[in-house]
Order: sequence, then structure tokens, then C-alpha cells
Amino acid sequence: MENLDAARLQMAFTLIFHIVFACIGMVMPFFMVVSHYKWLKTKDQIYLTLTKAWQKGVAIFFVTGAVSGTALSFELGLLWPEFMKHAGPIIGMPFSLEGAAFFVEAIALGFYLYGWNKLPEKFHWFTGVIIGLSGVASGILVVAANGWMNSPSGFDYIDGQFLNIDPVQAMLNPAWFTQALHMTLAAFTATGFAVAGIHAFQIFKGRRVALHTKAFKIALTFGAIAAILQPISGDISAKDIAERQPVKLAAMEAHYNTEKGVPLYIGGIVNAETQEVKYKIAIPGMLSFLAFGDFNAEVKGLNDFPEDERPNVPIVHYAFQTMVGIGGVLMLAGLLYFVSLKKKKWLKSNKYWILFVLLAPLGFIALEAGWIVTEVGRQPWIIHKIMRTKDAVTPMPGIVFSFYTYIVVYLTLSVAVTWLMIRQIKVLNAQK
Amino acid sequence: MLYVVLFFLMFSLYLYVVLGGADYGAGIVEMFSSEENQKITKKTIYRVMGPVWEANHIWIIIMIVILWIAFPAYYNILVVHLHIPLTIVLLGVTLRGVAFVFRHYDAIIDNSQKLYDGMFKVSSLVTPIFLGMVFGGLISGEIQLSENINNLTFYEIFVKPWFNVFSVLVGLFFAALCAFLSSVLLIGESEEGKENIYIRKAAIATIVVFVMGLITFIYGYIDNYFFVKNFITDPYAIAAMIISGILLLPLWLTIKKGRRVLSRLFAGLQVFLILLAALISHFPNIIISKNGSVSLLDQIAPDSVINVLGVSLIIGGAVILPGLFHLLKSFKMIKILEQNKNPSA
Repeated sequence: MENLDAARLQMAFTLIFHIVFACIGMVMPFFMVVSHYKWLKTKDQIYLTLTKAWQKGVAIFFVTGAVSGTALSFELGLLWPEFMKHAGPIIGMPFSLEGAAFFVEAIALGFYLYGWNKLPEKFHWFTGVIIGLSGVASGILVVAANGWMNSPSGFDYIDGQFLNIDPVQAMLNPAWFTQALHMTLAAFTATGFAVAGIHAFQIFKGRRVALHTKAFKIALTFGAIAAILQPISGDISAKDIAERQPVKLAAMEAHYNTEKGVPLYIGGIVNAETQEVKYKIAIPGMLSFLAFGDFNAEVKGLNDFPEDERPNVPIVHYAFQTMVGIGGVLMLAGLLYFVSLKKKKWLKSNKYWILFVLLAPLGFIALEAGWIVTEVGRQPWIIHKIMRTKDAVTPMPGIVFSFYTYIVVYLTLSVAVTWLMIRQIKVLNAQK
Repeated sequence: MLYVVLFFLMFSLYLYVVLGGADYGAGIVEMFSSEENQKITKKTIYRVMGPVWEANHIWIIIMIVILWIAFPAYYNILVVHLHIPLTIVLLGVTLRGVAFVFRHYDAIIDNSQKLYDGMFKVSSLVTPIFLGMVFGGLISGEIQLSENINNLTFYEIFVKPWFNVFSVLVGLFFAALCAFLSSVLLIGESEEGKENIYIRKAAIATIVVFVMGLITFIYGYIDNYFFVKNFITDPYAIAAMIISGILLLPLWLTIKKGRRVLSRLFAGLQVFLILLAALISHFPNIIISKNGSVSLLDQIAPDSVINVLGVSLIIGGAVILPGLFHLLKSFKMIKILEQNKNPSA
């Protein structure tokens, strides 16, 4: 394996894992504080049990997210030293603020986990809120740094030199808002559906139904609202990319030739050689409309860009299709959930619970697919139109070995965390 | 503003060495305890470290972020030439964090605890050794700084800087220092009547630190290491080391008298002096090599970056430090005796 490929795969692989851990660690505190709030209001013992169960989940995922995040903060430099040498000072701002937010989160978590019966009730609950808010702030800041790679700004690039650096402008790059909005909603959707799915399974099995129903409702309310809002954010993102990274948009839709009134392809198999997309459903004019708000607008095709400036089209296209497809399904499921709150008898049906069990992994699949669109879609650039990924990679050979090591460690870690969660639920169900 | 940034860099380094070091040391102390004492130590560690250990480890992230923002050229050399030990440190940090949480949060207590304990202890020892090897590598003189590194072998560029006797000695010295810090901390946190376990550990650790330090110096002196030569000719470095040695006296007096907070302050001060001595003897040249040295102040990021970073650090510090202090005060300094309670409750 080439060093560059090994480095890219290692980065992709560690990010794929970190994203899952980080999202759960970022969103679950919100479920926890809602349950905690209900306990304080109603003094219904079930909410206390649930809060304490979720708090263990938060602690476990915070740590796995924190350690995989620590690993990533080093990997940026270890794998891409040339990138960090130039980009580090420019995008340091969101990272240093993220460090601060993360610190606040760790402090608040210390207070929350160990503060039961020691801290004043309201202050204790409030530290839980801080965990959630600082987690979301961390997420937004890291995504802002990624946004800079897609829309580099805050410096002048003259003769290969990065001059007149403005860290604030770099942080508030044109992509930060659309990406952060999309990612935050995605995190809530994915975690909401995943957590709700786990509780749905317990309800389906008839274990502690009262507790798991309350848990299901709290988690899915967050997930459903985010899923319903997500298409709006997706639309903003599409229009933004159409303007800033037209080649990425073209790859997402496997759109090769510049035309007016371009159809939107749903599904389809891409043949990159013949530049054909087979077995697709085409909605006339829709891509033009989604990208520019006009059914007749011209959309640039891949052939307008030099061959060595195009990403891998099939990967980006399939990932994009997966993301949008799942996004649609989850939005409908979210609507269905709100309807089901009025139709109590649905909740008695096994089919209802099976449906949400099946939906559980989809949010995370969509979220990963979305990151594949962003990251693979940016290639061959590590900094869009400024620095190529191949020029940033470490000169140290043999990255493939560290790649394999990371695979083994992270896969083991994932299995272990899953196993730990199963044991938590087992004990929770056995409690009386 | 550069000095604000430098201050926070050194401040983070110091706190990471002291707080993170005590944290690693806890695992080392547990490792070198009898089976019965391991159980006691495990409980104590959870009570003492539980609320704060995550915060302890964030200092290294702050350090790294400051390095790459403000001193990119320096950071570049660090991550390229010390790639391998840094990767091992990362794996160690990962496994250790996970093991810590698993052994205290697993809902079912069974044989898997043995695995978590083993993982925790081994990674607690290996991680600081490799971290120390990174420090050692920076000052070992083995990092290849010449432009023409293409005709050197993989071993010479990527392995020798950290895998040499001197760097390994520094690694072992650092691990011993962690164990020392942790023992002093645990004395004041132990259950009634168990203080002697940690007093003994602290005594052994003190001797190990001293002996390792001495061996490192003698080896470095005999083999003509620049760092050692600079060190022993720098009066300030020597003075700092001597004061650090003298401080052993009040340290042991306060331990004997059961003055927990004071004894910790002395131990912290000793480590501060050791770090200070190491830094002033070669500051601002943080990478010392046979073919030249790299100053931290070479190729600093532009002023606009340094200014923004400095302001962020001041604001961040203002938000974080009071919270952190309060957290430490609430849980660490006040002895909460809940010995008979289930530790995961």
C-alpha cells in the first residue's frame, strides 16, 4: 500500500470511529438532563433510574470520544505534517477554543458524575446542561476547522506563502455555518434514533416497558425534530457547495457534462470510464433547482475541471445517495413518531417497535456517508485549491503498520464498548 | 503576547507533568503493590482520580494545540521525527482511558476486571516511559536536522532519536517521577490506617527517581551529551536541582506530620524545579541535535496569530481555571470517606 493511501485510510478510519463516539458523547447529555429535569419535577423514581443509566453511557462515550479525539489531534500532525505546518497557525483559533470548550465539558462532567447528593440539586442539574452545551460547542468548532479546508480563507496565498493571516476570518470561513448546522442536526438525528432504537428493542422484548418507553420518547423527540429540520439544512448546504465547490456537487450527482436544466439522479450505478450512470431515476431539472433555485440553471459538469482536480466520482456519488436516501426515511419516521403520540394504540403494536429497531443504525450510516461526501469530495485537495493531500503527507514510510494497529485497536474498542453497553442494559433490566 | 503564549505553554506542560503524571503514577503504584494493596489502591484511585482525571489529560491537548498554532516549524520536527513514540503514547492514552472507565463502569463485576486492571496498569507504565522518551529524544542530540536526510536510513531518522540509551533513561526517569508524585498524593487520600502503604511507596519512588536521574546524568556525561554538558555548566540549573533536593527534607517532615496539602505543594515544587532546571539550561533551544539546534522561537507564527491565540488563552484560562480549581477543591482536597459504599454508586 502506498504511504499516502495508508495515511488517508488511517485518518478516515480514526475519524469514522471518533465521529460516532463524539456524537453520542455530545448528544446523550441532553437526553440525560431532560430525564434529570423530569425526576426533579415529578420525583418519579423511573426518571432517576434512567438518568443514572444514561449518565454511565455519557461517561463511557465521553471518554472514548476524548481519547480518540486526543489521538486525532496528534494524528493531524503525525500524518499530515506539511498541512499542519502551514494550516496550524491559520486554523488554530477554532482548535484552541475547542480545547477550552472540551475542558469546560470535562470539568462539568466531573461535577455531574460525582456530584449526586453532594452538590445543591439545581446546580448539579445545571452542570449537566453545561456538559451538553460545551459538547455541542466543541463539535461546531471542530467542524469550522474542517470548513476551512473546504473554503480556505483568512490569508493571502502569494508565491506558495501564507501571508496576512487573520485567524478569526479563517474560523468564520464561508463553509463553517452550513457545515456546522448540518452536522449538529445530523448528530442529534443519528444519536436520537440510535438510542431510541435500543430502547425500542427492550420494549419489544417486554423488559421494563415503563422505563424504556420514557427513554424512547425523550431520545426520539430530539432525533425526530432534528430529522425533520435536516432537509432544510441540506438544501442550504447544496446551494452553498454549488457555488463554492462545483466539482464536489458534480461528483455527488455524477454529473459529467455542463448543461442547463440538469435532472437529479436518484440511485444508479456509475461507470467512471464511459461517464454513464445506469439504472437511475432522473427527476428533470431538479438538480438545477436544488443548486440554484431555478429549473433551467446551468450546472457545471465534471468535464469542465482538469482530470487531476476531480474526486473519486463513484464513491462520492454513492455516499451522497446513501445520505440523502436515509435522511428522507428518517424525516418520515420522525413525522410518524409525532403522529404516533396521538395514536396510542400504535404503541401496543410490535411492528411499531420493530420499525424503530430497524431504523436505529441508519442515522449513523447517513452521518458517515455525509462525511465521506465532504472529505472524499474535497480530494485531491487537503486545502481546497491550495495544497494537495499528497504534498501534505508525512515523509515517514511504513504508515501502513500504524494503520493496521489502529484498525485492531479501534475495532476492539468498538466491540468492547458495545459489550459494555449490553451489560449496562442487562443490569438495568434486572433492577427492580 | 508571545510571552503570554509561552507562559501558557509552559504552564500546560507543568500541569500535565504534575497532574497527568500523578495520574499515570497511580497505575504504576498499583502495579507494584501486593494483591491486597492493589484492591485498596484501585478503590482509592477511583475516588481521587475519578472526577478529575479527564481534566488532567486535557493539558496535553492544550500543549499540542499551542505548539502547532504558535510554533509550527518546531511542531513539524516533533511529529515527523518522533512519530513512532508519539503514536505509542497515543495508543497508551487510549487504552488507559478506556481501561479506567471500563473497570469502574462495567455494570457486572466479573473476571473481565482482571483484563481491565492489567490494561490499566501496563498502559500506565508504558505511556509515561514513551512520553519521557519523547522528552529525551528532543534533547538527545539524535534528531537529524540537516537538509540532506535522504541518504540516511529509516533507523537513523525515525528510530534512533528516541530509541537510544539516553532517551530510554529519561523515559524511565519520567515514569519514576510519576510514581513519586502519585505516592505523595495517595498518602493523603488513603483510608484510615493505610497511609503506610503509600509512605513506603513514596520512599521507594524517591530513591528510584534519584538513582535514575543520577544514572541518566552520568551516562550523558560520559557519552558527551550536549544537554548534560549545558546543564552542569549552567549555575541556575544546578541551583534549581540543589533546591529541589533540599526540598526532600520539608517534604518528608510534612508527610510524617500528616500535612497533606503542604506535602503535595513541596512535591509539586520539586517537579517544577526539575523541569525549570531542564528548560533553563537550554532554553529557547528545545530541540538539541548534533547538527544544530532548533529554538522554540525560530519561525514563530505571525503576530496576528500569536495575538489572537494569547487573547483566547487568557479568556479560556479565566473561564477554566476557577472551575478546575473548584472541582479539585470539591473532590480532591476534601477527603470524602465512603469506604464501604459501592465505588460505582
